[in-house]
Amino acid sequence: MFKYILSRIGAMLLTLFLIMSLSFMVVRLMPMSLFENPETDPEIQRKLEDKYHLNDTIPVQYFYFMKDIITDLNFGISVKIRPGLDVFGILVSRLPPTILINFISLFISIPLGLIFGTIAALNRNTWIDHVISVLVIIFISVPSFIFGSVLQYTLTFALPIFPTLYDSQAVTFAQKMHSLCLPIVALSLNPTATITRYLRGELIENISSEYLLLARTKGLTKAQAIVRHAFRNSLIPISNTLIGMITGIMGGSLVIEKMFAIPGEGGLLVKSIFAGDHFLTVAVLIFYSAVSLVTILIVDLSYGIIDPRVRVGGGKA
Amino acid sequence: MAETMKKDVILSVRDLRVSFRAYGGLVQAVRGVSFDLYRGETLAIVGESGSGKSVSIKAVMGILANNAIIESGEILYDGKDLTKVKEEDFHEIRGHRIGLIFQDPLSALNPIMKIGKQITEVLRLKKGVSKAEAKEKALELMRVVGIPDVEQRFEQYPFQFSGGMRQRIVIAIALAGDPEILICDEPTTALDVTVQAKILEQINQIKKDRNLSVIFITHDLGVVANMADRVNVMYAGKIVETGTSEEIFFEPAHPYTWALLSSMPDLQTKDRLNAIPGTPPNMIFPPKGDAFAPRNACALKIDHEKEPPMFKITETHAAATWLLHPMAADSHVEMPASLKARIERMKRSGGLNG
Ligand SMILES: Nc1ncnc2c1ncn2[C@@H]1O[C@H](COP(=O)(O)OP(=O)(O)OP(=O)(O)O)[C@@H](O)[C@H]1O
Ligand SMILES: [Mg+2]
Repeated sequence: MFKYILSRIGAMLLTLFLIMSLSFMVVRLMPMSLFENPETDPEIQRKLEDKYHLNDTIPVQYFYFMKDIITDLNFGISVKIRPGLDVFGILVSRLPPTILINFISLFISIPLGLIFGTIAALNRNTWIDHVISVLVIIFISVPSFIFGSVLQYTLTFALPIFPTLYDSQAVTFAQKMHSLCLPIVALSLNPTATITRYLRGELIENISSEYLLLARTKGLTKAQAIVRHAFRNSLIPISNTLIGMITGIMGGSLVIEKMFAIPGEGGLLVKSIFAGDHFLTVAVLIFYSAVSLVTILIVDLSYGIIDPRVRVGGGKA
Repeated sequence: MAETMKKDVILSVRDLRVSFRAYGGLVQAVRGVSFDLYRGETLAIVGESGSGKSVSIKAVMGILANNAIIESGEILYDGKDLTKVKEEDFHEIRGHRIGLIFQDPLSALNPIMKIGKQITEVLRLKKGVSKAEAKEKALELMRVVGIPDVEQRFEQYPFQFSGGMRQRIVIAIALAGDPEILICDEPTTALDVTVQAKILEQINQIKKDRNLSVIFITHDLGVVANMADRVNVMYAGKIVETGTSEEIFFEPAHPYTWALLSSMPDLQTKDRLNAIPGTPPNMIFPPKGDAFAPRNACALKIDHEKEPPMFKITETHAAATWLLHPMAADSHVEMPASLKARIERMKRSGGLNG
């Protein structure tokens, strides 16, 4: 098990390294000079060029770039969006709203998905199941920004219950949440539907399994058998869908943040790409990759912990 | 054996009819089955695949699939008609009064729950036994069914067990509720022959030790000889012949029983296996008359037209075939000569268990 964890972490670090290299290459090779702004003081420009070895060859730049990040989390400084400021600092300052909406979406959609999935499975082939299934198809196939605009139109313009945009003046948590409601709802629909769909399928399969029949013939009530056997066993494959869900939510939040003017990482990424603020772009990209990789790692490891066939079976996954 | 026993009926199935809603229509899986289980006996139900054996006992356990309809009949146990017991109350009977051992031990255990917990679960939940006590009892049961290293095995998962071991665990689970009736649905079909023999022996031993009444389902008549006091032969959803083991093996009366016995491999003479020709009927449109007639070379004309009733041969022996009707006496249909010879040999070599 220990070896399994180590190999997982090793694989994750390797992937992160590759992603960093790749994003460095891609962004740096894009045809946009870092210093198009004619007003930049030539003196400062020279200093920056010195500091980041911008006049050296790309491989040398790459070496210093990696070294700075690994030794002291130095991703460089922003040149366009917040000229002169440390990129890592900008990243950190943008974190709270992104974390807030992403996590809340996740924590809403998991229990909701489990509840609806269970209801659908237990009422299989009744109208309840059919209604849930239709909603699931809609919520899975339509991207979150469409729901974002629909919600924005109906609940802020036609029926003004919520503010159209994020309220950066909000002081109390309640005020903040009020202006974050719509983006969170827009982001939660898809993952909720995903979990509902998977759990329904898994539960139906497990409920009709032989071992559930055994659980009943040995004297458990139907409810006991379903909760203790079918439901528990359905959660294992479900945990795998978490990866897709989390990356899905983050991807959705790129657009949703822009749409509701939420000052988070998503908006930052979009802006920095358009402005050609390469250091910033690379930093945000790496941030997103790191979060996905850690998610995958956690899910993988917990899969190993909850599934005895992986845990006891000895490191195969 | 059965004759010497006090005839105390513990479970009585009366004219049970079970159908399934399916795409092509109603599958009439069980078409009027009646039998009694006496206290302390082993009753075998024998028949080809699809004859309705599992469906009959699933009705007894109240675990029929959702598309099943109990068309008629009653299952009398302990003063109750089990066909009328509600799902909410049935768990009082399952496991605690009537235990079931499954056909397929490989998929019957929860793959991600520890073996020990799967045995203790019922004790903890339903009998309110303390954790330590439940474990003690589970370890004891594991020893009873012949598991070595019980302490260590208790903490393991099904995938760490062989097929035979899993079936032993399934038996231990069935015994955990301390039932008085044990139903074994082809408990050894999925296992290889040596393991099969050991497990059958174990079931026999447990039956004696715990004074259980056993319904033993199989399609292998060879197994029945060593296990059963009485035998019901089932075909196409009906019991076509019933009798003591001796009667079924030495004086079979129904052509289907003849065919089943002839298809039994004979180790002594290395006789060629006479597989039963044809296939069981489609139970959406069960045949008129004797359901076995289409596969029976020497079927009478009436077999194709009218369903035979049960003809009583002795107090314990009856068969549903027109051959037993007085008017069929001049039809001269008899059991195949090869079967007759084999039965003679078996009788000479010292009876069923010899
Ligand atoms: N849920 C169901 N829906 C439709 N038909 C069913 C269902 N369950 C059983 N049947 C049908 O009922 C008939 C009897 O099945 P059953 O399982 O009792 O056979 P069996 O005698 O136990 O055979 P085997 O030796 O293969 O276990 C079969 O024709 C089967 O196809
Ligand atoms: Mg069966």
